[in-house]
Amino acid sequence: MKHFNFGYLLKEGFKNIWNNRMMSLASIVVLVSCLIITGAASLLSLNVEHIISSVGDDNEITVYLDTDISDVDAVKIGGEIGKIKNISECNLYSKDKVLSEYKDTLGNLYESMEGDGNPFSNEYKVRLDDLSKYKETVKQIKAIDGVDSVSDRSDIARKLTKLNYFVTFVGFWVVLILAIVTLFIISNTIKMTMYSRRFEISIMKSVGATNAFVRIPFIIEAMTIGLISGLIASGVIIAIYNPVRDAASGIVAFIATATVPLENVWLPVLISFSAAGILIGTLGGFISITKYLRKEGGEILGW
Amino acid sequence: MIHLKDVSKVYPNGTVALKNISLDIGQGEFVFIVGNSGAGKSTFLKLLIHEESATSGEIVVNGHNLMKIKKRRVPYLRRTMGIVFQDFRLIDKMNVYDNIAFAMRAIGTPEKAIKKRVQYVLGLVGLENKEKHRPNELSGGEQQRVSLARALVNNPEMIIADEPTGNIDPKLSHDIINLLSEINKRGTTVIIVTHEHDLVREFGGRVINITDGEVIEDKKITTKYHPDDDSTYSLPETTTNENADADTEENKTDDTAEKEENNE
Repeated sequence: MKHFNFGYLLKEGFKNIWNNRMMSLASIVVLVSCLIITGAASLLSLNVEHIISSVGDDNEITVYLDTDISDVDAVKIGGEIGKIKNISECNLYSKDKVLSEYKDTLGNLYESMEGDGNPFSNEYKVRLDDLSKYKETVKQIKAIDGVDSVSDRSDIARKLTKLNYFVTFVGFWVVLILAIVTLFIISNTIKMTMYSRRFEISIMKSVGATNAFVRIPFIIEAMTIGLISGLIASGVIIAIYNPVRDAASGIVAFIATATVPLENVWLPVLISFSAAGILIGTLGGFISITKYLRKEGGEILGW
Repeated sequence: MIHLKDVSKVYPNGTVALKNISLDIGQGEFVFIVGNSGAGKSTFLKLLIHEESATSGEIVVNGHNLMKIKKRRVPYLRRTMGIVFQDFRLIDKMNVYDNIAFAMRAIGTPEKAIKKRVQYVLGLVGLENKEKHRPNELSGGEQQRVSLARALVNNPEMIIADEPTGNIDPKLSHDIINLLSEINKRGTTVIIVTHEHDLVREFGGRVINITDGEVIEDKKITTKYHPDDDSTYSLPETTTNENADADTEENKTDDTAEKEENNE
């Protein structure tokens, strides 16, 4: 057969979806769940990488002084920090200022901590000239008397890298298992469609229809289920992306600036989800129809 | 058109369905296949459309060598024939038009050509006013006419009818066979499997009797039709017909089939 009446086959594929709407719905639900989990894991991983990268690029470190250091001593320590070669900038943040910032963000919780009750220490925001000398510089700062600790961003980066690895590892297996389950469900949906149309398939074969002709409506059905699932899943992910990002920023403030904005992800999400849905759908449908045609689809039933 | 030589069919469970059958059916013949239940008639038809493969022998049908035919070629073999089943095999959810058009869509015919051809065959079987009806709104005879129209719609070289009158009353049976006879007069080979000897006597033609998997009789009978009185059909004169106007297909091979396929 050199040409098909494609409009007819397309119509038949869509009709199949409606005629087997319960199984189609089940396939869509499973595929949407699979895609949402995949998408969430991928976006989490993407954002963690982005945070790691922005943390790595950030040459500002915070130097916490001992809590009992007076303001005068704090200024002296600042002078010593400023003498270190790799330091380009060194600004004092008094413990009152730190408390006031916390009050601005988290409200009344810190109201009663003013004056002697202030749990924070004076701190310096220090900028480095050369990030490659990060460890060496931190060591020098820590050696100054009155310095309690230095915020070690490399540790955060290391922890985030571990999280990213975990997300990728767990995500991979979850997605793999869900993809297999989805393939199974979609191929069963198509199998049910074929079973309900086996009589028609049998007549098609008796009048000389090729396997390709028989196969196309079922492939269209599976592809459409995949596409619908991809669109729904990407819609859900796009809809919840900003709210989740805002919620995370409420817990860790810098997430708001260190994560990837929605404008940069919605199109890749839409395209990749739709493509993944179509791919899984088509594969599930193809496996099922090919198996059927090889085993019994060539027979003229009840003859 | 059809050439069988020493064809045997043994099913995997050991049942011997056909034993060393040799016969030829030529273009334009009108053939009845008769025999008792389980005699091998259905197996014979299944071999012709390659629903089953022969265990041994030679089979050539419409230029296709069925002992060598590849699976992907079977659809092209089936496009050279129209099949009419005893139970009509119409799709209930489709109307008459779509049931017939379905056979053309299945081989990729454009809609415009389908419309023209379906209307033509509906006229041929006398159902031009029933195209919007569903099968369950038709009588048994009408359903079989639709089935016949579907078999005819792709303009096959041959019609194979398996007990086409098995599910309809005698008067309508006569109409169906009469219709097949008319189709035959236009040049299409017609092969009918039947139990109904009255119809065979009435319409005559070549009669092949298969019993216990063997062709025990192959003869041509003539008959005379008296339209005023159904009961006065004369019993046929019987003439043994060893060769039965056979246009053997020995020289046709699967290469011919390939050419046909390429021409589509």
